[in-house]
Amino acid sequence: MKNLYKIVVFVIVILIQIKSEAQTESPAPKQAKSVLLLGGFAHIGNGTVIENSAIGFVGGKLTLVADARTIKLQANAFDTTINIHGKHVYPGFIAPNSTLGLIEIDAVKASDDQAEVGSYTPHVRSIIAYNTESKITTTVRSNGVLMAQVTPRGNVISGTSSVVQLDAWNWEDAAYKLDDGIHVNWHKMYNSWTGKPNEKYQDGVNELKRFFTDASAYSKEKNYSTKNLRFESMRGLFDGKQTLFIHTNFSKEIIDAIYCFKEIGVKKMVIVGGYDAWLVADLLKDNNVAVMLKRVHDLPSGEDEDVYFPYKMAKKLFDLGVLFCLENSGDMEAMGTRNLPFYAGTTVAYGLNKEEALKLITLNTAKILEIDSTCGSIEPGKDATFFISTGDALDMRTNNVEQAYIQGRNIDLENHQKQLYKKYSGKYLNK
Amino acid sequence: MRYAFLGWLFVALFSTVSAQETFMVNGTHNKNQNYYVFKNAIIFIDYQTKIENATLIIKEDKIVEVGPSNTIKAPKNSVVFDLKGKYIYPSLIDLYSDYGIPTEESNRKPQFSQQFESDKKGAYNWNQAVHPEVEAGQLFEVNEKKADELRKLGFGTVLTHKQDGIIRGTSALVTLVNDKANVAMVFDKVSNHLSFNKGTSTQDYPGSLMGSIALIRQTYYDTDWYSNKQNRSEYNISLAKMNENKILPSIFETHSKLDVLRADKIGDEFKIQYIFKGSGDEYERISEIKATGGKLIIPVNYPETYDVSDVFASNMVSFGEMKNWELAPFNLGIVAKNQIDFTITTSGLKELKTFYPNVRKAIKSGLPEKEALKSLTYSPAQFIGVYNVVGSLEKGKLANFIISSGNLFDEKNTIYENWIKGIRYEINDYNMPDIRGNYNLKIDSKIYSLVVKGEFDKPSAEIETITKSDSGKIDTNKISVNLKLQNNSISLSFNPNDDFSKNTIRLSGYVNHNAVVWEGKAQLSDAEWKNWSAIKGENSKDEKNKKDTSQTDSLVVPAIYFPNMSFGFDSIPKAKTILIKNTTVWTNETDGILKNTDVLLKDGKIAQIGKEIVAEGAEIIDGKDKHLTPGIIDEHSHIAISGGVNECTQAVTAEASIADVIDCDDINIYRQLAGGVVAAQLLHGSCNPVGGQSAIIKLKWGNNPEEMKIKNSDKFIKFALGENVKQSNWGPYSRSRFPQTRMGVEQVYYDAFIRAKEYQEKWDNYTKLSQKLKSERESPRIDLELKTLNEILKKERFISCHSYVQSEINMLMHVADSMGFKVNTFTHILEGYKLADKLKMHGSGGSTFSDWWAYKFEVNDAIPYNAAILHNQGITTAINSDDAEMGRRLNQEAAKIVKYGGVSEEDALKMVTLNPAKLLHLDSTMGSIKVGKSADIVLWTENPLSIYATVDKTIIEGVVYFDRAIDEQMQSKFAKEKSAIVEQMLKNKKEGAVTQKPKNKRKQTYHCDTVGSLD
Repeated sequence: MKNLYKIVVFVIVILIQIKSEAQTESPAPKQAKSVLLLGGFAHIGNGTVIENSAIGFVGGKLTLVADARTIKLQANAFDTTINIHGKHVYPGFIAPNSTLGLIEIDAVKASDDQAEVGSYTPHVRSIIAYNTESKITTTVRSNGVLMAQVTPRGNVISGTSSVVQLDAWNWEDAAYKLDDGIHVNWHKMYNSWTGKPNEKYQDGVNELKRFFTDASAYSKEKNYSTKNLRFESMRGLFDGKQTLFIHTNFSKEIIDAIYCFKEIGVKKMVIVGGYDAWLVADLLKDNNVAVMLKRVHDLPSGEDEDVYFPYKMAKKLFDLGVLFCLENSGDMEAMGTRNLPFYAGTTVAYGLNKEEALKLITLNTAKILEIDSTCGSIEPGKDATFFISTGDALDMRTNNVEQAYIQGRNIDLENHQKQLYKKYSGKYLNK
Repeated sequence: MRYAFLGWLFVALFSTVSAQETFMVNGTHNKNQNYYVFKNAIIFIDYQTKIENATLIIKEDKIVEVGPSNTIKAPKNSVVFDLKGKYIYPSLIDLYSDYGIPTEESNRKPQFSQQFESDKKGAYNWNQAVHPEVEAGQLFEVNEKKADELRKLGFGTVLTHKQDGIIRGTSALVTLVNDKANVAMVFDKVSNHLSFNKGTSTQDYPGSLMGSIALIRQTYYDTDWYSNKQNRSEYNISLAKMNENKILPSIFETHSKLDVLRADKIGDEFKIQYIFKGSGDEYERISEIKATGGKLIIPVNYPETYDVSDVFASNMVSFGEMKNWELAPFNLGIVAKNQIDFTITTSGLKELKTFYPNVRKAIKSGLPEKEALKSLTYSPAQFIGVYNVVGSLEKGKLANFIISSGNLFDEKNTIYENWIKGIRYEINDYNMPDIRGNYNLKIDSKIYSLVVKGEFDKPSAEIETITKSDSGKIDTNKISVNLKLQNNSISLSFNPNDDFSKNTIRLSGYVNHNAVVWEGKAQLSDAEWKNWSAIKGENSKDEKNKKDTSQTDSLVVPAIYFPNMSFGFDSIPKAKTILIKNTTVWTNETDGILKNTDVLLKDGKIAQIGKEIVAEGAEIIDGKDKHLTPGIIDEHSHIAISGGVNECTQAVTAEASIADVIDCDDINIYRQLAGGVVAAQLLHGSCNPVGGQSAIIKLKWGNNPEEMKIKNSDKFIKFALGENVKQSNWGPYSRSRFPQTRMGVEQVYYDAFIRAKEYQEKWDNYTKLSQKLKSERESPRIDLELKTLNEILKKERFISCHSYVQSEINMLMHVADSMGFKVNTFTHILEGYKLADKLKMHGSGGSTFSDWWAYKFEVNDAIPYNAAILHNQGITTAINSDDAEMGRRLNQEAAKIVKYGGVSEEDALKMVTLNPAKLLHLDSTMGSIKVGKSADIVLWTENPLSIYATVDKTIIEGVVYFDRAIDEQMQSKFAKEKSAIVEQMLKNKKEGAVTQKPKNKRKQTYHCDTVGSLD
């Protein structure tokens, strides 16, 4: 038995060594040849599936997504045809409200570019700090997460986020949607440590309101002899080019925030966190406010609550007809991003159907980030950003990403951790 | 104010009665040898002896005689008070007071560095929170303002101490006289006082509840050691005092029912039966409290009503808090019913005036009046052995008594006088008539109905006029009356604004003695003098009815749950015979996974595994399409812990133990059950190289801490390496505690174990000595820290070591090998994969995270393939949580080991069941589904490694502790009960109750590196 194991490991190691010599997690080159994938179980990302699919992509874009049994193709219609029968195809998962690339090791301050000092810092832009070389990002890609909204943390107004794809040489080619939104941490009505009512809540809200009111007024005029960088950075909120992401969980705070920004004239709002979103669902729908729902794998906030409440929240919001996706902020968020698919899986265990759950980390996320015209689902005309897993990718038991494509580029799934695995498997093999 | 003046007058007159012998007198001596006779009163000689027509005689500060009036003759030189219809009670006693002890301003400065030693100068104990030398007797000074407040409630004597520190010192018994301290004090050094709270001590140690417990235990051992005169290598005033005061009763302050049990355990170890100062929640664990055998001092500071008018905000008030609000007034009745000796204290009351209303609430909620009186007179005196001096009205005892209008606990009762040591303190003048009632006020020919109500000493009045409108509708108007009563003269003024008078009517006159008739002269607007009179009628019917409803013949005590919060059980659940039919069984044995199999659970054990099992009387569970696995065991958990998970203050704290601080009411116990967890090792945190001892528990929700502990399990202790230990991430102010590098960590271990060995040698040599030699020589000191380390060397205690980097893991194995012990488990061990071969050689197991990394520099090389490599190299490998959230889905974490490294599903499941059982030495009874093993199992809806699997049932020792269907029923049941209590609270608020705002208390959870307490 033992020898057999050694042989197996040896073979794996040799194979992997061959591959890893060829690739060292470099960004993949542009798609040169057209590719057709045949026979895969395609999870489109919009709620539908094609059990026996034909997926063709050329120059980074999907050109064909169809039932393989219903189409007829010329033998040389695609440069390469790969049979992926029995395997599953998913749109690349999207991690919104993420700190990927902004931090490498939580406890090492020098590696931390998440939060700038100050209270109102809408003008700081996450994109320029985004580290394409992060060792964390490559471990995240290996589980199917291929895009992220890189988001600053801290302060009342944290700063400006951008959407990136996770295979790039530098932040410029990583950028997918530049400066997509501004993030506000809504004031807390209760002190999160002592639980006591925050006596300064209303003062804080009033101050924030004044700041936004000034920014709005400022945006009405284009030419200034003296520019205000903060207000300049917020113009997009008032002409509808940018979204305001409001980070808050408590029902009354959500209500206050929506009314506050609506009055000031913010065009597009999204609630991030939204633990109590289900309590104010009508308000959200009436104002077209979507929700990035906080981490599914969490404890209930009160001891009386259903012990599975965070698991069941997605089904609840779905039934209420709120547009929402899943996000992952909190403890160990950057490295935890690779578990995003399993959060979606858990919502299935507690009520949602699998394809609806998939939407929460693909098309819904794309819609909320307003990038759904080019990504978020496997549909012709969109980016060829998807991956192939040997099994159900929402279940850790079967999630096994074999190949992943970002805009048609076949990316390297190698990472720091796999390399150490190989290195030390080798140590014992050679003993 | 008038009465205050009167009171002062009496004080001045009588204060010489008990003037102290030793003091000089300026002027003429004024000794008063008169007798004071109180006749015709209804006297409670003691709490159970009431004499209807009795006489009490006192002289100077003592009682001379008491008994039925007809048997007692007053001496000639008597001042006689006729108290017909009035009551005399012994003055009350409060055992938990800091009366007259000056409060020290906390001199705690903002501290940026660690303080390892005591700030107290002198030959005292090493720990600043241990100061048995503090004597209330020496600190006491009379505080007239506070004395006055207490006297008004009828208290005559209090036991006072300085309420600061862990071993606090002794108390003094003082009376509430306004005189020299020498007169006030009855005894000093009456009792020892302890608590778990280090108070104003600025020293770091102890930094946790378990540290406080260890410190108390160590101090008792040191006291014993110090009692041997040979051991005076140091002079220690504190330890000398400890020995001196050993004979005194000890009173232990606690803040929860679990603290009572914790303190009692210490008492048992040192054969001390503490008297416990409780917190009012004793009813939640009444049988355990009774079993301590301890007497209780109980406050009546019930929680204020929550303001629940805002639904969103009131959702934050937990059901547990609501239940406590609902049940708090029932506490005393429940304690009394269980025949536990108790006294009531005013301690903790925000306002003393709530004392009687709260005691009355307790009486309404089941506390017999006799017990209430006993608990304020006899019991407190008896608890501290002073019943020969106070607590009843018997010849020779102190002349401490109250004169009241009626039953002490009656809502309408008025306390007139409180005599203390024969000194009269007048609170209300009993010669002043009680004029409250309904009157017909007749002025000239006009009759008004006058209502007088309010407090006895502050009556208020109004006049009701009835007017008939044209339509025949009757309106009642109330006109307020300005009323003044001084001695017997009374004056009233009001403006009825009616046909009789449009102007203010002024009346003056007098009240006759029994207050039935008032009469006098009135002056109306025309300046003419008229006669007026007021004649008291019957009490209104309303009041009579009210009285009837206040009778509580059939007392309904609201349900108390185990634990008393959401998801608590009605009663502690019992084991059943259960047959799980036709399911897929993951045996973790050579049988592997069995399909379509039945499993029978009986007497808490797995009784039978097979096909088509028939068992009479068994509850049948259909296991079709489900999976049955052994229960999950979490090797590394920090749930269910009170008062801090880390005793961070020293590099070695082997003396502290998590087993002392299990919190059986942590909702996370239930949440883990809902994730299939049946047992956990509750570990000390990781902030020092040698942390505290572990507790290994089964998650028997509803049970008490002792019942949760796994009986006869091996003992474990936490060690830790790396960044937490060297305080890498503590900021710039923590740079002083050794060690600050991995180099220092090694030396801490060598130092600790070498000291431990030397310690043992000392003891071995000493034990060998003859009795004679022993008595001549210095005896070794019991050192709880070194004793614990020796348990490791003797293989009686096993190590679970928090570890990340291979160098340090290697180091500890070297230390262990050279010192002669083994590291049982390296927990976390994220770089274990780098030295699996060495681990195997040493014989350690590994308990790791599935995929955590990058949160600290030392986990930069952590890989999710770690478990697979360790497992493949033959290391017993477990997956742990270190986290209340992850702890409830460890099945998913096990599944990740299939994903990362390709371990088989069966082996992956073992990583959260059988393997942790092995690491904790529990595998003979747990960890697999095998006949004879404990029935600790989980029924899953799917393959347990799938994200889609949910828990259907979690069973421990044959008891169903979690059932998905019952869980849902409980949710709706508790929601209903909650809304009923909300209704009560809203009603309460409407009636003017003081309310508190809800808090948003998201319960924080402990991790390895949490410093300080969260509760």
